[in-house]
Amino acid sequence: MSRMPLLLSFLLATGLGATPPKPAASPKATVPKGNCAVCGMYVANFPDWAAVVTFRDGGQAWFDGPKDLFTYLLDLKRYAPKRAAGDIASIQVKDYYALKATDARKASFVLGSDIMGPMGKELVPFGTEAGARDFLKDHHGKKVLGFAEINLGTLKDLE
Amino acid sequence: MRPPLQRYRNILDFALSSLLRRKGRNLALISVYTLVVFVIASLVFFVQALKHEAHELLVQAPDMVVQRMVAGRHDPVPLAQVEAIRSIRGVDEVQPRLWGYYYDPVFGGNLTVLATEDAALAPDAIWIGEGVARSMRVKEGDLIPLRGYDGQSTLFSIQKVLPETSELVSSDLVLMAPKDVRALFHFPEGLATDLAIQAGNPRELPTIAAKIVELYPDSRPILKSEILRTYEAVFDWRGGLMVVVLGSAVLSFIIFAWDKATGLSAEERKEIGVLKSLGWESADVLLLKFWEGTVISVTAFLTGVLLAYAHVFFFSASLFEHALKGWSVLFPHFRLSPALDGYQLTVLFFLTVLPYTAATLVPSWRAATVDPDAAMRS
Repeated sequence: MSRMPLLLSFLLATGLGATPPKPAASPKATVPKGNCAVCGMYVANFPDWAAVVTFRDGGQAWFDGPKDLFTYLLDLKRYAPKRAAGDIASIQVKDYYALKATDARKASFVLGSDIMGPMGKELVPFGTEAGARDFLKDHHGKKVLGFAEINLGTLKDLE
Repeated sequence: MRPPLQRYRNILDFALSSLLRRKGRNLALISVYTLVVFVIASLVFFVQALKHEAHELLVQAPDMVVQRMVAGRHDPVPLAQVEAIRSIRGVDEVQPRLWGYYYDPVFGGNLTVLATEDAALAPDAIWIGEGVARSMRVKEGDLIPLRGYDGQSTLFSIQKVLPETSELVSSDLVLMAPKDVRALFHFPEGLATDLAIQAGNPRELPTIAAKIVELYPDSRPILKSEILRTYEAVFDWRGGLMVVVLGSAVLSFIIFAWDKATGLSAEERKEIGVLKSLGWESADVLLLKFWEGTVISVTAFLTGVLLAYAHVFFFSASLFEHALKGWSVLFPHFRLSPALDGYQLTVLFFLTVLPYTAATLVPSWRAATVDPDAAMRS
């Protein structure tokens, strides 16, 4: 009990106590679960490719690859009519080399490589652009794209 | 009880009592049958358990091992390669390993000497595998001399005997500090026996291997998946060799069973004749013969499988351990963990029980369709 005032003063000092804490600031689940929100495939079978969108209210949408993640994000109205782009707290993809979750908005994606994901051609994600460039060379990729550069036209190329 | 069920019961009853009437013959049949099932089932269980064990052990093995080749032979790797390989994209960790074989002339066995950086290892001390402790008759706290490259013996104190888990591989292991390994074998500084590589994404291993070969054309990368395949092939090949040997045993059993089961004796033929004249139908006679065959083959099958299970998992397959576990002097004393496969059991069942039952039915059917009068006269 004696720690409570200390904790409170810490929260106040850092300004965290003033605004309500955001529960979904960090993704709550790191283990893939459920079905892909776009294609319905079981995500746990493809942990190396799993991507996840976490919403501010703690809800999550899992995907069996970045391709389906972008299909979802670029047509949110169709796949999640009750959500808006502003509700998204974090988007995570798996870095191809380390197989660790990384922020999709800062990630680089390689288009047209010879590595196939669970749904065929993939946008292979990398935490660093240098990693993406090396991968492009090794696996005959076509282009390195940033998060914002990917649009519906890019997804057409992957079909 | 409903009449049809009662009929089956009566026929089964009769089958059992007629089996008992020819006790000697049927006991001989069951024991030979059991022996064959026992040997085949032992082999199947044993090979299955060995594969399982190898899989369990290799789970902890590095994703890739890089060796250097000189004139087609395995040669030490310069430590300078470590940094270059570590900078290859996708490589998580590169660990130079220092190890070798030590031949002990006293008990005529090879030990695997491996350097370890473990901080718990005291200076001038070693950790040894259970097999080493057993054959050298030493225990923790003892001193053992190891002869170096120049013939000089060095005394090492045994700090720890490695526990028996994963014995198959660690039985002949001796762990010591890197400087001791170098001193014992006169292993030059700046070289390692090979490099163990861990990759973040196993899918990248072939690409990494290709890059290593490009960087150092005299190196040979070996992937874990290749080692796994080799282990499987080795156990399969050895199992396969045993199967060839056993094939002849099975064949002789088939001849034996054919002879015993098909050749209805005159006495049996007469018995069938009597039964038919008493009002038994051909179907009843067939049912009787079917039950006789089933009782014999299922008894033999179950006994054989149970004995094989005990043999392999309680007595560590003592009958063919030496033929299958390699030629090392230090035999690991280990208990195989039971790994049963329903598929293998089913195949075994159909390979042994079905042919026997079929072999008994055909001649009985021939005898049962004969006129009872003719059967009794013959």
